[in-house]
Amino acid sequence: MSDNNTNKGFSFATFWQRFGTITILLLLLVVLAIARPNAVFSSTSIPQILRQSAVNILLALGEFFAILLGYIDLSISAACGLTGMCSALLMRANCPWVLACIAGVLCGTMIGALNGFMINKTGLHPFIITLGMQTVYFGLMLVVSNSSSVYGFPAGFSKFMNATLWGVLPVGAIIALITAGILWFLTARTKMGRNLYALGGNREAAWYSGINVHRHQMLVYMISGTCAGLAGIVLTGRLNAAAPTAGTGYETFAIAATIIGGTSFFGGVGKIPGVVAGGLIIGIINYGMTVMMIDASMQKVVMGALIIIAVTLDHLVSTSAKK
Amino acid sequence: MEPLIRMVGITKTFPGVKALDGISFDIMPGEVHVLIGENGAGKSTLMKILSGVYQPTSGKIICNGREYDQLSTKTSVEEGIAIVYQELSVINELSILENLFVGKLPTKKFMGLSVVDFKSMREKAKVVLEQVGLHHDPDTLVGDLAVPDKQLCEIAKALVSGAKVIVLDEPTTSLTTSEVERLHGLIRELKAKGCGIVYISHKMKELKAIGDRITVLKDGTYVGTYPAAEITLDELIKLMVGREIKGTYFADESVDELMTHPVIFEAQGITRSDRTCRDISFQLHEGEILGFAGLVGAGRTETMEAIFGAVPKSSGKVFLKGKELHIKEPYAAIKQGLGMLTEDRRKLGFAKNFTCKQNISIEPYIKESTWGGLGGMLSNAKEEKWANEQISALNVKCTGPEQMTVDLSGGNQQKVILGKWMAAGSEVLIFDEPTKGIDVGSKSEIYILMRKLAKAGKGVLMISSEQTELLSVCDRIAVFHGGELKAVLEGKTATEEDIVRISTTE
Ligand SMILES: Nc1ncnc2c1ncn2[C@@H]1O[C@H](COP(=O)(O)OP(=O)(O)OP(=O)(O)O)[C@@H](O)[C@H]1O
Ligand SMILES: [Mg+2]
Repeated sequence: MSDNNTNKGFSFATFWQRFGTITILLLLLVVLAIARPNAVFSSTSIPQILRQSAVNILLALGEFFAILLGYIDLSISAACGLTGMCSALLMRANCPWVLACIAGVLCGTMIGALNGFMINKTGLHPFIITLGMQTVYFGLMLVVSNSSSVYGFPAGFSKFMNATLWGVLPVGAIIALITAGILWFLTARTKMGRNLYALGGNREAAWYSGINVHRHQMLVYMISGTCAGLAGIVLTGRLNAAAPTAGTGYETFAIAATIIGGTSFFGGVGKIPGVVAGGLIIGIINYGMTVMMIDASMQKVVMGALIIIAVTLDHLVSTSAKK
Repeated sequence: MEPLIRMVGITKTFPGVKALDGISFDIMPGEVHVLIGENGAGKSTLMKILSGVYQPTSGKIICNGREYDQLSTKTSVEEGIAIVYQELSVINELSILENLFVGKLPTKKFMGLSVVDFKSMREKAKVVLEQVGLHHDPDTLVGDLAVPDKQLCEIAKALVSGAKVIVLDEPTTSLTTSEVERLHGLIRELKAKGCGIVYISHKMKELKAIGDRITVLKDGTYVGTYPAAEITLDELIKLMVGREIKGTYFADESVDELMTHPVIFEAQGITRSDRTCRDISFQLHEGEILGFAGLVGAGRTETMEAIFGAVPKSSGKVFLKGKELHIKEPYAAIKQGLGMLTEDRRKLGFAKNFTCKQNISIEPYIKESTWGGLGGMLSNAKEEKWANEQISALNVKCTGPEQMTVDLSGGNQQKVILGKWMAAGSEVLIFDEPTKGIDVGSKSEIYILMRKLAKAGKGVLMISSEQTELLSVCDRIAVFHGGELKAVLEGKTATEEDIVRISTTE
C-alpha cells in the first residue's frame, strides 16, 4: 500500500518495507544450505518444506485479514484443529471423503462467522473474543473426539493428500497457493479489499465514508475461519490422523508469518504475497531446526524470539520512515 | 532587544519536495509574530523544526544565545518552546488533566520517593483551563470533547509548562468569534509578560487584530516581514496568492426568487437519539446555499450526522427531490446521493495509509458499489482519472496522485477530502467547516466551486464557525442554539451581530 515513487535515493526503511521478507527468505536458505548442504536442495527436502509450510501459509492468510483490520484472530489454531477433527470423524462415520472435507471447510467458515457475530454484537476487542473462543473450540475438540486421536481414513483421502504434482508440489501447497491467489485477487482488485485497507487505516473515517464496519468485520472473520478450515484438512491429511490437541500454538506461527511478511501490526498495511513468503519462512525455520536436530522445546524458544524481533523491526522501520 | 529565538537560513527537503528554502525567522520578547502563506508554503514545517519534530537539512537555530544545528523535542522544551500543532495532538483516551501534563508530570518527595503531585497538578490545571475558557471537569476524557474544546485543551497544554515562546499553528480553525476573542485576550496577557508568540492562521481578519509583525512565506521561500500596522489586508493577500480576491459569492437571484425554485432537499423534525439536536426542520431550494451558524455544541454537526446516518436518530424524515430517503448508515446515504465533508479531518476525514489517489477514489467507488459496499472491482484507469481531475480542479499541492495524503500540508489534506466527494458527484453535499485550514486564495476557489454546484442543481449545505464566511457565501443562514434551530436569516442582509444575538440568547 505504501508504494512511494517519489522517493529518490536509497533509504533502508523503504528498501526493507519492499524487500525485507524476500531478503529474510534468501538469507535463511543460504544459512541452511551452508549448515546442511544436502538437506536443502534435494528432491525430498523441497516437497517436505512445502508440505510443512502449507498449514502455516493457510493460517497466516486468515490471520492476515484480522491483522489488516488492526485486530487479531487467536482462535484460528483451535478452528484448524476442530475442523480437521470434524472431517476426520465424518470420514470414520463412512461419509465420502470429499464431502467430509467440504463439510470441514464450511465448519471453519461457520466458526469464523460465529467469531464475527460475537465481535460485532459485544463490541469487545477481538483479542478477548477470539482468546475465549480458542479455549471453547479446543474444549469442543476434546469432547467430540473423546480425547483420543482419530485415524484410519479412506484410501482415497490419504492418497490424494499425499500426492505431489511433478514430484515437488504437494497437494497441501497447491491448496495454499490457490487460496492465496484468490485472496490476493480479493485484496488487490476488488472494492471490498480496498475497503479493508481503509478500515485498517482509520476505522471511524471509513464509517463516515460509507464503509459498513460490521459487514466487513464479519467477512474478515469468515475468511479467517475458512482458511483455518482448509488448514485443518491439510493438517489431517499430512499427519493421516486427527489428534485431540492438533493445532495447539499454531496461531503464534500464523501471527509471526503475517508480521514477518510485512503486514503492519497497527493495521492497514500488508500484501498477500508477503504473507505467503512469511508462511514459507516459518516453514523453513521449522524444517531447518528439525534437520539440525534442535529439539521441539528449543524450537519454541527460537520462534518466540523471532516474533519479537520481527515486530520490533516493523515498528522501528515505520517510525524511522516518518522522520 | 535580543530576539528570544532566531532561525537562520533554514532549508528542509522531504523526498521529492523542498519544503523550506533558506528561511530566516526570529521571535522577539513581547511580540506576536504572524506567519502566513498559502497551503503548503512551509509554515508548519518551519515550526516543527523549532519544536524538534523535524530536523533541518541545513541552517541554524539560536535560542537564548545558544546555537544549534538542530533541536530535539527535548531540547526544544528545555529552551522554553511550546507548540500547539495544527493537527490536534491531544490523546483521546486520557482525561483533560492528564493531557495537560503528558510527559511533564509534577512530582514531590514522599517518604524519600518522588511521586506524582496531584494537588499541584490540579491547581495549575484550574488556572490554565480558566485562562483558555475550557469549562469542563478536568477529569473528563478528551475523547468526549467537541473539536473546539479539544483545541482549547491543546492550547492549555502549551501554557501549563510556562513556556517563553509559544507557537500557535492555526489555533482558531474551529473556534467561534467569542472564543477567538478570549484567546486573543490571553495572548495579550502573555505578551505583557514578555513571551514571544508565533501565530499562524488563514483567518485574515485575526492577523491585523493580534499581530505585531507579519512574515509571508510562498512555496517554501521567504517573501518578507512587515509591521502589521503598516500593511493592508489586500496587500497581504496579494503577497500570498499573487492576485486579488472577490468579496462575496451570493447567487445571482434574490432570495425571494430562489424561494420560488423547487425544494431539492428537506429535513423534517430530525431528533437524535442522544437529543443533542431536537426537532430540526429545514428546506433547501434549487440554486441556493444554505448556511448553518451557531456556537460550539449548538447541534449543527450533530444534526448533519443524524441526517447522514452516522449516528442514530430517534425521529425525523429526509427528502431528496420530494422522495423520502431511508438512511440507516452512511453507506445508504451515499448511495442515495448525499455526501458529507466531516469537520474533524484527522479523525474522520481520510485513511492515513492511503495515497491521494486511493483516498479520492473511496467515495466514487462506494457510490457505484453493490452488495452493501462489498461488491465491485477496482479500476486503475478510473482512479487515475478521478485523482488527476480533482488534484488539478482543487489545485492540490502534492507530488502526484501517488503521494501519501498524510504527508500533505493540512490545507491540502482538506482539499483531498473535498476531492473525494467531488469525484463521487453527490446530489446533496453537506460541508462541515469546508475551509478549515485553507488559505485565502483556495477558500475563494472553494466558494466559487460551491456556487457552481448550487447553480448546477446540486444541494449545498454549509456549516461554518466563521461568520464572515457564512455572510459572504450563503443565501440563507439557519442559526442554531442549544440543539434547536432558532431562526433563518437572509445572508445578504444579516449581520454578525444578528447571528451572535440569536446564537447566544434563548
Ligand atoms: N512528512 C512529510 N513528508 C513529505 N512532504 C512533506 C511532509 N511534511 C510536509 N511536507 C511537504 O512540505 C510542504 C510544506 O508543508 P507545510 O505543512 O509546512 O505547509 P503549511 O504552510 O503549514 O500549509 P497549511 O496552510 O496547508 O497548513 C508541503 O508541500 C508538504 O507536502
Ligand atoms: Mg500547516
